[in-house]
Amino acid sequence: MENHLLEVKGVDVLYGDVQAVWDLSIHVDEGAIVALVGANGAGKTTLLKTISGIIHAKRGEILFSGKSLAKLRPQEVVDLGISHVPEGRRLFSTLTVLENLKLGAYPPRARPLFDKSLERAYRLFPVLKERKNQMAGSLSGGEQQMLAIARALMAHPDLLMLDEPSLGLSPLFVRAMFELIFTLNSQEVTILLVEQNIHQALKIAHQAYVLKTGKIAMSGRGEELLANSEVQKAYIGERWGKPRTTSSSSR
Amino acid sequence: MLKYFSVGLIAQVLVNSVLLGTMYGITAIGLSLIFGTMRIVFIAQGAVIVFFGYLCYWLFTLFGIDPYLSLIPVVLAALLLGTAFYYGLFKEVAALKDRIGSLLIAVGLMFFLENFMTIAWTPNPRAVVTSYGFYAFKLLGINLTLTRLIGLLIAILATMGVYIFLKKTLIGTAVRAISEDSEASTLMGVNPNRVNIVAFAIGIGLAAVAGINLATTYSFDPAYGFDIAIKALIALTLGGIGKVHGALLGGILLGLIEGFGTYFASSEWAQAICFLVFLLALTFKPYGLFGGTSQKG
Repeated sequence: MENHLLEVKGVDVLYGDVQAVWDLSIHVDEGAIVALVGANGAGKTTLLKTISGIIHAKRGEILFSGKSLAKLRPQEVVDLGISHVPEGRRLFSTLTVLENLKLGAYPPRARPLFDKSLERAYRLFPVLKERKNQMAGSLSGGEQQMLAIARALMAHPDLLMLDEPSLGLSPLFVRAMFELIFTLNSQEVTILLVEQNIHQALKIAHQAYVLKTGKIAMSGRGEELLANSEVQKAYIGERWGKPRTTSSSSR
Repeated sequence: MLKYFSVGLIAQVLVNSVLLGTMYGITAIGLSLIFGTMRIVFIAQGAVIVFFGYLCYWLFTLFGIDPYLSLIPVVLAALLLGTAFYYGLFKEVAALKDRIGSLLIAVGLMFFLENFMTIAWTPNPRAVVTSYGFYAFKLLGINLTLTRLIGLLIAILATMGVYIFLKKTLIGTAVRAISEDSEASTLMGVNPNRVNIVAFAIGIGLAAVAGINLATTYSFDPAYGFDIAIKALIALTLGGIGKVHGALLGGILLGLIEGFGTYFASSEWAQAICFLVFLLALTFKPYGLFGGTSQKG
């Protein structure tokens, strides 16, 4: 039995009396990009929030490097090494770019590395350095997404969870976003990616899970699922017109 | 009627109003910190201010301690009291989405303090009168008593202190972050409990500063608290939540309205006008006159 970086085992999550996630099990291996895809309301964001400790599972186990996340509060989960870029970015719009980044390095594990982390953030996203004293709310959509990711990286995470990073971005930025994810992964950041842009997500993922109404409908390697005709019919066919017939998923 | 417009008198009213306004202002800043981080409308703030006024008064009357010397220990006591309030009363309700609980607790605390002070110390008005307090400067025909001058100075220093804390310290930045988006802040590793304690402590600390100003500049009795709290809420509405300078300016504006209203009409009219301004502000500029930001939740 291999050791996974993140293991979600048989998790049930409820919002009051409404069950959102049913007996869900996924795992994320170190160094991988794992994609969680599925329609709206399938439970993807719920799962990320549960891992982060914002909500708690009614049943099941979540282990990170062997440690249980069950009773932890969100700030403790961050200090263990899991950073979560929430849906819609949730930047602090009244704070400056630099202040947002400073807050990203809030957990004790990240503070001694602040200067190096900041340098790395500026290297990855030079536009953030230019705009470091600007209010975060005044940045463009693409810049805000970059800041959100940079902010999460300031916590020096072992696992980076991204919730719909391409949402609301122009096609050019979407492409840049996925290239960024690829680059980060090649710099040894393990990534758990929740995406509605199924095509791009599956192209880039080593491992992927398709969620449907709170349960796992399919799982497998990214390229396998991309070529799977059911997936194409259900998610890609309708959206993207004629699906690609050749396995041209290059990585 | 013409005598109403004598420059000297108007200037005097102006100065006194600004001073009254700064007291509303620092009260409003305290309210803003507590509401911003915990979404609690701390209506007991006025009663707490009067309580600290009494503390200052008794230290002076019983032990001869100069009110301005007692500033430091009283503020320190206030920081501890704020922490105690949070742990004892507000910690659980701060996390709830339903705000009624916290408001009820604040109202309960207000009634308790007011009645306690009335029973313990009688409803007779008190004031701290120092031997040097009436020494006045004459500046451009305006009488500026020493107590008023020091009061103004203390209020400005307190405001600057809070501003520097919020802008330049990491935990101050965390206060601002939690005020905007508490959930996202926890995803950064911010511990909301710690931030809440700091905000509450500073809020009560500001009440202590206002209390000392109250005791030295005006005469007060236990019933004063409610009026101060309401005026501070109006000041906060005018200034917009989340801006320190906005709260202070809102307070000063309100002080001016009240001061000039009393001068030109009567104190009853002044009250009515204050509330009218409140209603107008809520209707047309609910985020503050200075265009503040809306807050999540």
